[in-house]
Amino acid sequence: MADAKYFSTTKKGEIHELKLELNAVDKSKKKDAVKKVIAAMTVGKDVSPLFPDVINQMQTDDMELKKLVYLYLINYAKTQPDLAIMAVNTFVKDSQDPNPLIRALAVRTMGCIRVDKITEYLCDPLHRCLKDEDPYVRKTAAVCVAKLYDISAELVEDRGFLDMLKDLLGDANPMVVANAVAALSEIQELGGKPVLDLTLGTVSKLLRALNECTEWGQVFILDSVVNYMPADAKDAEAVVERVLPRLQHANAAVVLSAIKVILRNIQYIGDESVRTALLRKLAPPLVTLLGSEPELQYVALRNISIIIQAQPSVLANDVKVFFCKYNDPSYVKMEKLDIMMRLVNERNIDQVLLEFKEYATEVDVDFVRKAVRAIGFCAISIQSAAERCINVLLELIQTKVNYVVQESIIVIKDIFRRYPNRYESIIGTLCDSLESLDEPEAKASMVWIIGEYSERIDNADELLEQFLETFPEETAAVQLALMTATVKLFLKKPMEKPQQLIQLVLTYATQETDNPDLRDRAYIYWRLLSTDPEAAKDVVLAEKPTISGAQDSTDPALLEELLRELGTLASVYHKPAASFVSKMRLAVHRADDLAAAAVRGSQNGEPEMTSVVVVEASQAGSAPTAIAAPAAMPDLLGDLLDVRAPAGAMSAAPDLPVVFGEDKGKGVVLRAALTHAADAYILQMSVCNLSMDVPIEGPLLIQFNRNALGLAPASQSVSLDAVLPGATAVVCVPLVQRQELVAPDQGQVLQVALKFPRADVGVLYFASPIASNVHL
Amino acid sequence: MGLWVSKLLSLFGDKEARILVLGLDNAGKTTILYRLHVGEVVQTIPTIGFNVETVTYKNIKFQVWDLGGQTSIRPYWRCYYPNTQAIIYVVDSCDVDRLPTSRDEFAAILEEEELREAAILVYANKQDLPGALSDAQVAEGLGLTSIKSRDWSIFKTSAIKGEGLFEGLDWLSNTLKTKRR
Repeated sequence: MADAKYFSTTKKGEIHELKLELNAVDKSKKKDAVKKVIAAMTVGKDVSPLFPDVINQMQTDDMELKKLVYLYLINYAKTQPDLAIMAVNTFVKDSQDPNPLIRALAVRTMGCIRVDKITEYLCDPLHRCLKDEDPYVRKTAAVCVAKLYDISAELVEDRGFLDMLKDLLGDANPMVVANAVAALSEIQELGGKPVLDLTLGTVSKLLRALNECTEWGQVFILDSVVNYMPADAKDAEAVVERVLPRLQHANAAVVLSAIKVILRNIQYIGDESVRTALLRKLAPPLVTLLGSEPELQYVALRNISIIIQAQPSVLANDVKVFFCKYNDPSYVKMEKLDIMMRLVNERNIDQVLLEFKEYATEVDVDFVRKAVRAIGFCAISIQSAAERCINVLLELIQTKVNYVVQESIIVIKDIFRRYPNRYESIIGTLCDSLESLDEPEAKASMVWIIGEYSERIDNADELLEQFLETFPEETAAVQLALMTATVKLFLKKPMEKPQQLIQLVLTYATQETDNPDLRDRAYIYWRLLSTDPEAAKDVVLAEKPTISGAQDSTDPALLEELLRELGTLASVYHKPAASFVSKMRLAVHRADDLAAAAVRGSQNGEPEMTSVVVVEASQAGSAPTAIAAPAAMPDLLGDLLDVRAPAGAMSAAPDLPVVFGEDKGKGVVLRAALTHAADAYILQMSVCNLSMDVPIEGPLLIQFNRNALGLAPASQSVSLDAVLPGATAVVCVPLVQRQELVAPDQGQVLQVALKFPRADVGVLYFASPIASNVHL
Repeated sequence: MGLWVSKLLSLFGDKEARILVLGLDNAGKTTILYRLHVGEVVQTIPTIGFNVETVTYKNIKFQVWDLGGQTSIRPYWRCYYPNTQAIIYVVDSCDVDRLPTSRDEFAAILEEEELREAAILVYANKQDLPGALSDAQVAEGLGLTSIKSRDWSIFKTSAIKGEGLFEGLDWLSNTLKTKRR
């Protein structure tokens, strides 16, 4: 009883005091109170209980107070979605205020309030502001449309805001144009369907605004112009011509975006000389970017790496620019090294080699290793310089620095493969540093060399014996190399010692080891040697194809995409944006849904078994990791009907296995099986309602765990006609396969979560086996 | 000296009286507010939220809060009840069908503890339209006549023509003055 007092609301405390002050008569006192509220909000105190009191201060002539209240509103509207409606009228009024600053402020704040209940009321003010006479208001309103699209795409489409935005592309004010373009690109990205129809007319409007708008506005414009496909060489040249001056801009983002546009349009220019001249113009701005601070340099280098993979000629004569400075941070050095490797050719090899040699004597171990690899790369890719490279490597080995030696041996092995029977004279030098090898890769390389050239190494058997002493402890790679080398030695010198060695190795490998690779290879050797040593010779000592020295380059499709993403995070990661921006993945889903809805709509309202259809949205191209779904529209309908026929026939679905039984006490029995029809996977489910009186209604939400096939539902939502008590309904959920969801370790089972709208059923989890006959 | 003067002034009613204008949607609350504030008829749209203006009449400053009358907004009226000196309750005299609804809302307001001291002024609005109920009929419909313990009054008004509004305000200012004393 006595403790009841702890639960009574106290009329004390900060919130209560602030409340009193907010309701004070004195204006300045009120304003002070709002400031205190904002201060409390900023440091993370919860002042949301004051919502109605703060909102009431909204209608004021005091600009400062208004801004404070708006700030509060942006922060807390979400926590008080119902009360937020009280602010609507003030927004409507403010969006008609004679002061354009207030109009813009109102429309901007409106965009930041993400409360479904009030968005609809805010459309009229937004509509007005998009047609405002003041450019500042228009440009703010343009961005607001993109924000609204994120909350409610239908509203934006229904109210014709998209068309209004497109009209703004022709606005007289360049900032309005830039913002309209930014908003449209954002909407395009969110919605996953093209809204920005780029014709020569639009593009020239955009480019006209380019010169006068702010740097970030320029980036927006350039980034959208990059999607323009010129009709002919003349158009392309015109675009390039107008973008060229941007290369001189101080802002690196503008420069990169401009380069992006130029590179794209250059493809359409047929005249070789014009193209070469243009490409030459790209070099100086790129070089300039390297003069900035290391972080920017890094971004620039990552972008340059993409550019020169696409257009190697751009910086072909500028390899010197990429020479590392002693005080470059390690991440910059690594990137520079990469780019030098891409730019090295017969003309500059001497210079570059000298640099590499220098780098190989530095203290940063990773950098040194990479430098040594780079020297090896030069040797392999530039034949005329191979000898010089090897000399450098030999010099490096003389330094006896452990990791340099090991790295050198690894690359020398590759050189031997590239130029067989040419540089074997150096083997002697290599053998001198045998003791210092402790890394598996270096050891394996050295063992390979000994095995391969055992006929020229007098004491090859002794050397191998040394290695074999520790055979059981070595890593698998070294063990394999050792075994092969021993076999080679035996085949080349079939004498007593090698025979002992091979006995030893094969016995161990067949009897002691757990490694199946090692064991199997040992059996093969054993069988070969025991049946026909000559055949063994043919197999083991077969002539090997020479390797070529291509640096690992980006996949052409990815490269193409990265070129469009220059200057964005994707170009730094060298990954498509969709692989790390979750919103874009969502957008792909959403595009699926839309297309599915379209298909559904075209079915004349037949009762539906299949609720969702797999559609490869036309935008899937922009997110290549997604969707392996096939089928154009007409096929799809065919598929759909195929699926429906059997599903409709077996209404009770007796032959599906029960995956969620009566014993779970949810009043629902689920049967499910994974099948495939017409090139697509489908999850067939039957939902049986055991309850006496309550129907089960859709839509259901479905989600899969990662699985061995990388399957995912084409849409999260599964529509279900009401299942009356005692009845059973059959649902077919179309699935898509996504590479990024493949999880081979999950076994042959599909784990599914199914959420029912009815709260007492809630979320059901079940697992459905992936039968082996189901693989496509 | 300065302190003296300001204290005196506030004694004589420089203080703003807080007044709420309530009533069902489309009763004419916003039109009334702006008729009082700027003296002319303004084009209004349904108020989703509130309007607040200061109206000075006969040396009394009224801080007039016009709250939206939509069903969805009515629950939030109560946020505005504390420290309210008077309610102007506006009824659309032509909307006979919804008079019972209006009465229920009105009854709920009278029940509110925080409004126990508030004076009640009822405007039977839209008298300019044909078929409008008389003030007596509206009073009957609202159940005004059974109120004994409070200050209330009803006036026939037409916000469009500007009739009856200031008469009501006269009554209100007198009532508030007596109360304050």
